[in-house]
Amino acid sequence: MFDGLKKTLQGVKEKFNSEIIDNEESDKLENILTREEPVENHGFVEKVKVFITDREFIISSEALNEPLSELEFALLESDVALSVTEEISGHIKKDLTGKRRKIGEPVDKIIEESLRSALLQVLGEGINFPEFIRSKKKPVKMLFTGVNGTGKTTTIAKVGNYLKKNGFSVVIGAGDTYRAGAIDQIDIHAERLGIKVIEHQEGADPSAVLFDTVQYAESHGIDVVLADTAGRFHNKVNLMNQLSKMKRVMKPDMVIYVDEAVAGNDAVTRSDEFQRSIGIDAIILTKADMDSRGGAAISIAHTLGKPLIFLGSGQGYDDLMPFIPEKIVNDLLGESPNA
Amino acid sequence: MLDKLSTSLKDAVKKLAGKTVIDRASVEELVKELQRALIQADVNVKLVMNLSQAIKTRSLDEEPLKGMSVREHVLRIVYQELVKLMGPVTTVPLQSQKILMAGLQGSGKTTTTAKLARYFQKKGLKVGVICADTYRPGAYTQISTLCERINVPCFGDPKNPDAIQLVKEGLNSLKSAEVIIIDTQGRHALEESLIDEIIELNILTKADHRWLVIDAALGQQAREQAERFHAAVNIDGVLITKMDGTAKGGGALSAVAATGSGIVFIGQGETVDDIERFDPDGFISRLLGMGDLKALVERAEESLKPDDVNVQAMLAGKFTLRDMYKQLEALNKMGPLKQIISMLPLGNVELPSEAVDVTSTKMGKYRIIMDSMNNAELDDPTLISGSRIQRIARGSGSHPEEVRELLKHYKMMKKMLKGVKGAGQGGFSLQKIMKRMGGA
Repeated sequence: MFDGLKKTLQGVKEKFNSEIIDNEESDKLENILTREEPVENHGFVEKVKVFITDREFIISSEALNEPLSELEFALLESDVALSVTEEISGHIKKDLTGKRRKIGEPVDKIIEESLRSALLQVLGEGINFPEFIRSKKKPVKMLFTGVNGTGKTTTIAKVGNYLKKNGFSVVIGAGDTYRAGAIDQIDIHAERLGIKVIEHQEGADPSAVLFDTVQYAESHGIDVVLADTAGRFHNKVNLMNQLSKMKRVMKPDMVIYVDEAVAGNDAVTRSDEFQRSIGIDAIILTKADMDSRGGAAISIAHTLGKPLIFLGSGQGYDDLMPFIPEKIVNDLLGESPNA
Repeated sequence: MLDKLSTSLKDAVKKLAGKTVIDRASVEELVKELQRALIQADVNVKLVMNLSQAIKTRSLDEEPLKGMSVREHVLRIVYQELVKLMGPVTTVPLQSQKILMAGLQGSGKTTTTAKLARYFQKKGLKVGVICADTYRPGAYTQISTLCERINVPCFGDPKNPDAIQLVKEGLNSLKSAEVIIIDTQGRHALEESLIDEIIELNILTKADHRWLVIDAALGQQAREQAERFHAAVNIDGVLITKMDGTAKGGGALSAVAATGSGIVFIGQGETVDDIERFDPDGFISRLLGMGDLKALVERAEESLKPDDVNVQAMLAGKFTLRDMYKQLEALNKMGPLKQIISMLPLGNVELPSEAVDVTSTKMGKYRIIMDSMNNAELDDPTLISGSRIQRIARGSGSHPEEVRELLKHYKMMKKMLKGVKGAGQGGFSLQKIMKRMGGA
């Protein structure tokens, strides 16, 4: 994941570089030509003054237009949603335009810092998941939700495995009572991992299942409750109401929104809808191994402003990577010289 | 967000109205809005760039057809280019065949398999399903439960991890079935061993069709995945799933371009009946958030007799409940009012969405209520007072509140049409406009 984005970003960085250097050279030339007759144009005089006195150079917004549109193109091709792309490029433009640059300071450093701060701002802060669980009263309740087919059930099995390895006891509530085979699926996963599942029949009220799961956890001193739910589309009012009911009954400490790394622009629309109708505390992105681009991570993190906890990256139970924004950004742009 | 987008697209189209010469700036603006709409719909960025280039060149270089305004000329090109993007028209012959399902995890293969089984069953064919997904826990339970509900035999064995052997046995045991659908394990095209497995399954089954299932929300990744699947098993059709969400399904177009095939079915809902044959025009309309151009043209030509909807009289302000009744009847044949309105050259009139968003169930209800009114009331709705409302409600088996709602809706329609009267400049014929839009 992110390899594609990394490659395109490198290309864009070079482009920024050459555009700005070109601009600088023409500035020097003009400066020599006009030294004897000062020009009325204030902007230009200002530039010349800066050049002579401070030996600095101002980056003009025109010089940025082309590399910026190239950046936008690269982000779009990496599945970053249009609205988010525009915000990132706006951020960089604002950051760079009018910036004074000392001669001798490498251009790519300025650009890299600007890109870095834009991406870090979008990806937000990560979260220490085990730390979060320890900080809450037992049992810590997690409600998993998302649209159909993003991999909620598989993710719950992976998270259960992760928590067990970190020394927590876990119980799973089989709240997907709708999809044929869903209870079976979670049963088999849980059996392999040695995790208890609380379940009712197919078609039962999921809120009741989750209520029982919490009861079980309380009476048995279990650390964490993982609640599976049926996939649902955010535009189906009844299903969203059902989800709100689950939330009321279960009172989760964390609502985890599961989406897939391969999703395109709809990632923004649907995560936003889930956020508005039940509220999201954290995000897990699945199928990261399928996607070399990783744009959905940027889109969703930006839309929700909530931390991404994990990336699901394969079919095995251990294929779950904690998400650390600085690491991702460093991976994309190389280590920060200031860090 | 998307509403805003389609509005700006409409604004860009409107700028072309009334122009006698095509000017580059307006076309460029339209193309730019179109690009935004398509990219937001997850259509591959490169495809979008090619398409917009073609529209630009053709709009500026081609002579408008005789009698066509600039706006119609450009819209026609936009429409034609979009249709081209949809890929070739696919046929689904109702005969004995084997279908191999391919696709990413979680794209909805299993659900779609059951839906397809239901589709062929309804067409009178004997259907059998083989579950070759030996990996995902619960996969067999899922498909066998779905098949049981529709009485379709389903072959599988969750204990046997060998997909090839399973399918061999399945083909034997389902010999009497005419259509056999093979659900395979979800895989992504970067997993070599899984790709090998599906290649082997394809050779073994000699499948007549190899259909790729694409999630409507799939982004730019669609192209790469489709290319790999195509290289492996020669995909000859694309199915889009989860169109009941808000995703636009643009990824499927990348798959179409990468495989050179067309879109076969669209899945939009969670029950086995929620599957439809693909209709390119409906899809374009969803992609762009504009009215369903072509279908509307055709349906209008078929069903719209001159006395069905008297546009002229309506615009002249003579709009009674009787007109609304006729209109509701016509709409039953033509589709939602919103789409029809979006076809009319209304200039810059913003229509209140409450007025045009009437669901079909509500329309049916309204007609029943109006059946309980007498002629005088239909001609002059102002007559309808409290006691009459009570009587109409009792007669139609509805609540007085519903009768009031109907009247409110009528008033809103009337007000809206008054507004249209000013902007439409009168003197246009609905049929003529529609005919021109579709002319290819």
